[in-house]
Amino acid sequence: MKRTDLGGVLLFVLGAAAILLLPRFVSDFRAQQFAYVGIYFIALLGLNVLTGYTGQISLGHGAFMAIGGYTTAILVSDQGLKLGSHTFSADVKDIWTIPLAGLVAGIAGFLFGFPALRLAGLYLALATFAIAVAMPGVLKYDRFAQFTGGGGGINLFESAARTRPAETTDPITFETISKPIKVLGLEIASFNEWLYYLSWVVALFMLAVAWVLLRGKNGRSFRAVRDSELAAASSGVNLATYKTLAFGISAFYAGVAGSLLAIATTFVNPDTYPITLSIFLLVGVVVGGLGSLWPLVFGAIFIQFLPLWAQEVSKAQGAPAVVYGVILILVMILLPGGAAGLIRRLKTLYKSRLPSRPLSRTSD
Amino acid sequence: MRRPRLVLCLLALAGAIATGATAATSADPGITGKTILIGGTTPLSGTASAYASVARGANAYFKFVNSRGGVNGRTITYKTVDDAYDPAKTVQATRQLVEQDKVFAIFNSLGTEQNVATREYLNSARVPQLFVASGATTFGRDFKQYPWTIGFQPGYRAEGWIYGKYLARTKAGAKIGVLFQNDDYGKDLLAGLKQGIAGSKVKIAAAQSFEATDPDVQSQISKLKASGANVLALFATPRHAIQGYVFANRLGWRPLIINNAVSSASNIMALASEGGTNKAVENSISIVFLKDPTDAKWRNDAAVKLYRSIMSRFAKGANQKDVYHVYGMAVAYEFVRVLKAAGKNPTRVSVMAQTRKLNDPSNPFLLPGLTVKTSATERFPIEQALLQRWSKGSWKSFGGLWGYRAG
Amino acid sequence: MAEFFQQVVAGLATGSIFAALALALVLIHRATGVINFAQGEMAMFTTYIAWTMIENHGMNDWLAFGLTLVIAFGLGLGLQRAVIRPIERAPLLTTVIVTIGLVLIFNGLASLIWGAEVRAFPSPFPNDTWEIGGVAISQQDVGTFLTVLVMVSLLWAFFQFTKIGLALRASALNPDASRLVGVRVGWMLAIGWGLAAMLGAAAGMLTAPTVFLDPNMMQAVLIYAFAAAVLGGIDSPFGAVAGGLMLGVGLNLIGTYVDFVGAGLRLPVALLIILVVLLVKPSGLFGKPVTRRV
Repeated sequence: MKRTDLGGVLLFVLGAAAILLLPRFVSDFRAQQFAYVGIYFIALLGLNVLTGYTGQISLGHGAFMAIGGYTTAILVSDQGLKLGSHTFSADVKDIWTIPLAGLVAGIAGFLFGFPALRLAGLYLALATFAIAVAMPGVLKYDRFAQFTGGGGGINLFESAARTRPAETTDPITFETISKPIKVLGLEIASFNEWLYYLSWVVALFMLAVAWVLLRGKNGRSFRAVRDSELAAASSGVNLATYKTLAFGISAFYAGVAGSLLAIATTFVNPDTYPITLSIFLLVGVVVGGLGSLWPLVFGAIFIQFLPLWAQEVSKAQGAPAVVYGVILILVMILLPGGAAGLIRRLKTLYKSRLPSRPLSRTSD
Repeated sequence: MRRPRLVLCLLALAGAIATGATAATSADPGITGKTILIGGTTPLSGTASAYASVARGANAYFKFVNSRGGVNGRTITYKTVDDAYDPAKTVQATRQLVEQDKVFAIFNSLGTEQNVATREYLNSARVPQLFVASGATTFGRDFKQYPWTIGFQPGYRAEGWIYGKYLARTKAGAKIGVLFQNDDYGKDLLAGLKQGIAGSKVKIAAAQSFEATDPDVQSQISKLKASGANVLALFATPRHAIQGYVFANRLGWRPLIINNAVSSASNIMALASEGGTNKAVENSISIVFLKDPTDAKWRNDAAVKLYRSIMSRFAKGANQKDVYHVYGMAVAYEFVRVLKAAGKNPTRVSVMAQTRKLNDPSNPFLLPGLTVKTSATERFPIEQALLQRWSKGSWKSFGGLWGYRAG
Repeated sequence: MAEFFQQVVAGLATGSIFAALALALVLIHRATGVINFAQGEMAMFTTYIAWTMIENHGMNDWLAFGLTLVIAFGLGLGLQRAVIRPIERAPLLTTVIVTIGLVLIFNGLASLIWGAEVRAFPSPFPNDTWEIGGVAISQQDVGTFLTVLVMVSLLWAFFQFTKIGLALRASALNPDASRLVGVRVGWMLAIGWGLAAMLGAAAGMLTAPTVFLDPNMMQAVLIYAFAAAVLGGIDSPFGAVAGGLMLGVGLNLIGTYVDFVGAGLRLPVALLIILVVLLVKPSGLFGKPVTRRV
C-alpha cells in the first residue's frame, strides 16, 4: 500500500473511533440527529459518485431513496408483501432488509442509466427531476395501494414501538417500560443510540466501499468521464459502462439511505420523499464538496441542522427559509468548492508554511 | 404483545379515576409549579403554509391567558416546530419536542398523515397527543388502540355525511359532481358524502380527483360539467376550491355548489366571487362550526371582539380575517379548560382523563349551541355543525344543528 | 366532441401559463447558460409587488404591470451582479445551488412580507366567456394565449434583429471571442438575467388571475415549465411555447381519455412521454443538437 493510502486508513480508523464514541458525549436526542446525519451522508456519498465523479447531474435521488425506503417498509410491515396467506413481515427483521433495499434501488438506478446515456447535462437533470416529481404520484396510485399503502403510506409498527424514548415510565405504575434494545447480546440503552450506531456503522462501511471503488484506475476513469467524455472515450474508457455503473452505485447508496430513513422514521408515505429531498441532497453534495468523500459529512450536517438553526433565528413565517437561503448563498460564494475545497485550501496553506523540502510526488 | 399492556393501562387508569387518585408527582416532564410547556408541529413552510395560522391563533390565545395569570398559576408555553407538512420531518420534530424540549404534551399538530406518523410513537411513550388538527376519522374512531390521542374538529367524513343527508332530504334526483383532493382529506369527505346519500335517490354522477400540486383544475371541472351533474361538491383546499368556482363560472355552469368547511371562510368566498362578477357562489352550501370574523353577523359579538383584541395585542401583523386563527383560539380555549379541570397538579394521566369527559357548551369561538363533548365511547369532540348558505356576500346559517354519530 | 374541444381549449389555456414561464427559463439559459430554479419564485415575488401597488396604493392596473416589469428587470440585473457574478468561475452546479438558495429566499420573503393566504389578482382581460359550438372559451384565456405569442415573437425578434440580442447570443456562445470584439460580456449576462426576470414577471402576472396569488403559486408551474422548455428544446423560444401548449393539451387529453390515469398519474405519464421524446430527440423537439468540440 502506498504511504498516502496508509495515512488515509489511519485517518479513517481515527475518524471511525471518534464517531463511535460520540454518543457518550452528547445528549440522547442529539445522537438521533447525528444518526440522520449519517443517513444523509450515505445518500450524499452515492450522489457524489454520480455527480461529483462522472458529472451526471441528478435531481432525483430522493426517488431512489423512496424505492429503498418502500422496499423495507413493504417487506417489514403487516400491510406488505403477502404470498397467499403468508405475510413476509413475520419472518423479516427490518435491518436485514437494508442491503435488499439498496439492491432494488441500485437495479432501478442501473436500468435508468441506460436511457440516461442518451441525455446530457440539463436534459439529464430534467429526466432525473421528472423521476423525483413523478415518484409521489406513482406511490399514491390506487392500483398499487395494496402494496404501497397509497397516500396513507405504511406504518412500521414494530419499529415504532421501539422508538420510545429512553426514560419512559408508565405514568400509573411508575415502572420503566422502555425495553433496552439488544444487539448481539449487548444492551444498548435507547432507540436513539441504536439508530446512531446502525446508521454510522453502515455509513462507515459504505464510505470504505466508496473509497475502494474510487481509488486508482477506477476513480480516474470516473473522473475522466466527468472532465471530458471525448477524451475519456479516446483513452479507452468505456463510457457506457462507467456511466450506467455510476447510476447503479449511486442508486444503491440512496436505497440504503432510504431504507435507514424508513427504519428511523417508522413511517413511509409519498410525502416523506418529496422533491425537496432530492434538491437538498444536491445542495449537500455541493456544500460538502463535489468529488470528495469524507468531507461530504459536512454537507450532511449542513442539510440536517441548518433548517433547525434557521428556526431558532426567527419563527416568523418565511423567515427560516430566508435565513437558510442567505447562508446557502454565502457558503457558495465564499466556498465554491464546498467543505472539501476549504480543506484543500487549508492543506495547501499548511504545506506552504512548512520549511521547503524536495517536491514529492502527489497522488490524485 | 403490545395490546395486553394497553389494556392493563386502561384498567389501571379506570381504577385510578374511580378512586379519584391523581398521581401528584413531578415525574411528568414539561410541568413545574409555575410553567407548563406544550409543543406541536405546524407547516410554517411549504405548500400548506396557509395553515400555520392555526398554531398562531392558539399561541396568541395562550399569551392572552398568561397575561391574565395563566392557569392555576402556571403560564403556558406553546412551542411550535416547522415540519413543512412532510411526515418524516413531523416525526423528527415531534421526537425533538418530546425528548429534547421535554414537553408535557403534544398539542394541535397539524395534518392527517403528519399525526398518523407520530401517533404510534407518542402513544408508546405515553405522551398526550392532544387536539390533533385534522378531521380524519381515525383520530376519533381508533381511541381504544390509541388512548393518548384525541382530535377536535368535526370529522371530514361527518361533514360529507351532513351534505349527503341534506341533499337526500331536499334535492331528490340530484346528480353530484365531486371535485376532491387526492388524499385522505378529500377521500374522507367523499366517503362521508356517499354514506349520507346511501339509500336515497341522489347519485354521484362523477368524481374527479386532483393533486395538491396541480396548477389548476380546469380539466376536472370541465369533465364534471360534462357528466350532467347539477350539484358540484368542492372537497378541496382554498386555492383549488376557488378555482372550482372560477372555472364553473367560465364554463357557464350553474350547479348548486357545496363547498367544504376548510375552504368556506368568507374571505375565500369573496375571492371566489371574483369581485362580485362570479355568480356561481350564490346559494353555495357549507357547514360551519366556528365564528367567522368576516361575517357581519358576528361584528358585535363579544367573542369575536375578544378575538380581535387578542390578535392585535399578541399576533401583531397577522391577518385577522383568517378564520384559521379563530380555530386555533377555539382549540386553545378548550385546552385551557381541560388544564384547569385537571386541578392544581395536572399530570399527563389526569389531563388525558379530562379529555375523555369533555362537556363544554360554551366555547366562545364556536357557534352558540355547539357542545364540545366526549365520553367513554365517543371521542369526536365536535360532531355538530350548522348548515349555511351564501347569499349576497355573506353566509346565513339555516336549519337546526346537525349531529353525526360515527357509524 | 364538444368535450374534446373543451379539453383542448382548457389545455391551451393552462399550456399558455407553462409557456410563459418556460420562455423565461429559455431566455436565461440561452443568454447565460444557467438553469435558474428561482425563475418561478422571482415571478411570484414580482407579481406580489404588482399586487401591492394595485391593492395598497390604488395604482392603475396597467401602470402597475408596466412598473413591475421595470422593477423585475432591475431585480434580475441586480441579482446577477451581486450573487451570480462572484461565482462565475465556479462549476455550474455551484450556480445551480445558488439559484436554489434564491428560491428559499424569495419564497420566504413573500410569506414574511405578505403572508401565506390566497389573494386575488386582477387580469388585464375581461372576465367574460364566449360560447362557440358548445365550447366555452374564456376571454382571459384567449388574452393570455395571445400575450404569450406576442412575447415569443418579441423575444425572437429581439435576438434576431437587435444589436443587444446579438451580443447576448454571442456572449453565451463564446464569451472570449465576444470580448475580443468589444462586447461587454459581464453586462450582457446581467441584462440576460434582467430580461428573464421581466419575462418571469409577465408570466406571473398572467398566471395569478387564474391560479390565484399565494407564495407557492409558481412551484407547480415551474415543474411544468421546466418540462415544457426541455421538451421544446432548451434554447428555442418557439420550442418553449410549443412545448408548453403541447404539455397543457396533452395532460388534459391523457387525463380525459386514458382511463387508468387518474389525476395522480397525469404528471408522471406526461413526464414519461417527455422522456421518451428526449430519447428520440435528445435536444428536444426544436432544439439544435449540441456539437461538442474536442
